[in-house]
Amino acid sequence: MKEHDPIVFVIDDDRMIRDGLQSLIRSVGLRVETFASAQDFLGTKRPDTPACLVLDVRMPGLSGLDLQMKLRDDGIPIPIIFITGHGDIPMSVRAMKEGAHEFLTKPVRGQDLLDAVQKALVSDRELRQERREANEIHARFESLTPREKEVLELVVAGLLNKQIADQLGMSELTVKTHRAHVMEKTQAESLAHLVRMSEKLKTATRK
Amino acid sequence: MGRRIDASPRVHKLARYALAIGLVALALLISLALQHSFGNPFWFFFSVAVILSTWFGRTGPGWLSVVCSILAVMYYFTPPIRSFAVTPNDLPYFVTFVACEVGATQLISWRRHTEDALRRARDMLEIRVAERTVELKNANEALLKRMEEQRRTEETLQATRAELARAARITTIGELTASIAHEVNQPLAAIVANADACVAWLSREHPDLAEARAAAERATQGATRASDVIARIRSLITKATPERSRVEINRVMEETAILAAGQATTNRVSIELQLSPGSPIVLGDSIQLQQVILNLVMNGIDAMTTVTDRPRTLTLRSELQDTGHIRVAVQDSGIGLTEEVKGRLFEPFFTTRSKGMGMGLSISRSIIEAHGGRLWGESNGTGGATFQFTLPCEDGPTG
Repeated sequence: MKEHDPIVFVIDDDRMIRDGLQSLIRSVGLRVETFASAQDFLGTKRPDTPACLVLDVRMPGLSGLDLQMKLRDDGIPIPIIFITGHGDIPMSVRAMKEGAHEFLTKPVRGQDLLDAVQKALVSDRELRQERREANEIHARFESLTPREKEVLELVVAGLLNKQIADQLGMSELTVKTHRAHVMEKTQAESLAHLVRMSEKLKTATRK
Repeated sequence: MGRRIDASPRVHKLARYALAIGLVALALLISLALQHSFGNPFWFFFSVAVILSTWFGRTGPGWLSVVCSILAVMYYFTPPIRSFAVTPNDLPYFVTFVACEVGATQLISWRRHTEDALRRARDMLEIRVAERTVELKNANEALLKRMEEQRRTEETLQATRAELARAARITTIGELTASIAHEVNQPLAAIVANADACVAWLSREHPDLAEARAAAERATQGATRASDVIARIRSLITKATPERSRVEINRVMEETAILAAGQATTNRVSIELQLSPGSPIVLGDSIQLQQVILNLVMNGIDAMTTVTDRPRTLTLRSELQDTGHIRVAVQDSGIGLTEEVKGRLFEPFFTTRSKGMGMGLSISRSIIEAHGGRLWGESNGTGGATFQFTLPCEDGPTG
């Protein structure tokens, strides 16, 4: 299996359930890693691939909800599928509020779990893609000189070359040169593309 | 009633004196009227006047009537008539009359005094009796009221106790149900996951039989585990005859001491083992026996958490008895048992702890009795309590 194949982490303190879930998920060709506790999971180095977490809510030591909080606080975005016994409704509400991807009740039907896993992986893949793009745009924008950044700001704001030249106190010809550099460095195909990238970057940093 | 005693003094003094004069005057008139028919009847009517005056008017008017009578007799009936002089001839007769009158007034006065005193005494007595009756009645009412209050308090207490017991039972049932639900649900979840996995492996284009078999085996294990859980619950509920195997009781005690070590350290309790020589064997369910001992040990540790004036020591002792029984004792230096607690120790749902089902000792006793033994608890002379049980021993120690 290749390193960037998606991976499913299963965390459950009950070995029999853990093995069953692992076998089930493996049967559809997905890569699985199992852990007996949340601490074990945190102590392991995770490969940089799309992934999701299948997590038992009730565990000795760090509970499923505790782990969710910790991952969120550490800035590790990974979709979580919670599995819980009966009578955990307040818990499930809390988990969903904190952004759990799915909440399944024990005993879980195999197909339900597999569907949830697939959806979670797709979602993670998309998120990762978005993050990667944002990173790339960020890198490109970072390569601009301070002067070029100033020009970019005004271009995106919709000003004409002449207006920009007036505002920054330079000739229109210089503005045109800077503008060409900006388009080149950011690999923008058009003014519209440049504006879109700029917006994306702003949303990403806001997040 | 009380008013009668004050009646005579209240009658106006003057009226009493007037009565005396009136009676004497009446006697005089009657005597004058009758003197020609009866000779000299005066002493009779005057005597009556004196007696009545003294009786109704008391001493003063009595004496007045005596004086008036004597004067009237001297004036009207002793010669010389219509003069206060008395002839020497009539003197003995006159003196006798005076003596009679004085005697009469004295006698009646004395009699009247006695009468009055008696009546006062009787009235007093009546008042006293009335007062005491009222007091008694009040006391009686107060008593009845107290009894009523007591009865009501007792009823409330009874109701509260029943309510508490019911609440405890419901809580316990709730706890039990939640715990059973979890215990059964875990293996069920494992079965479903593994069975689904098995089907998934078989449904592949190229079925993976090895994987499917492994998953199916795990499903079977899950089912076995679920049925074990149910069997345990059933044996707990029906108190079925426990599984019988040869159990080295000393070893069970040692294991229990190790199990409880953490709890003991946390509570600064030292556990001492005093085991009987050899390895006595009992027939029974080692898990259940361990539960019993562990329960007694935990109770002992709990009983010592508030003790600060003496070492917190828990002694686990086993002793072979002449009767062929082994006696296992768990002795603590804790708060001991009050009589009230002692009487209810083995009642289901009875507990002295804020958190606790009150089932431990009740279940422990059932287990020991199912093993043909006896479990009881008593206070130590030196503070703390000892819980012990006996079990029939297998013949001859082994090992």
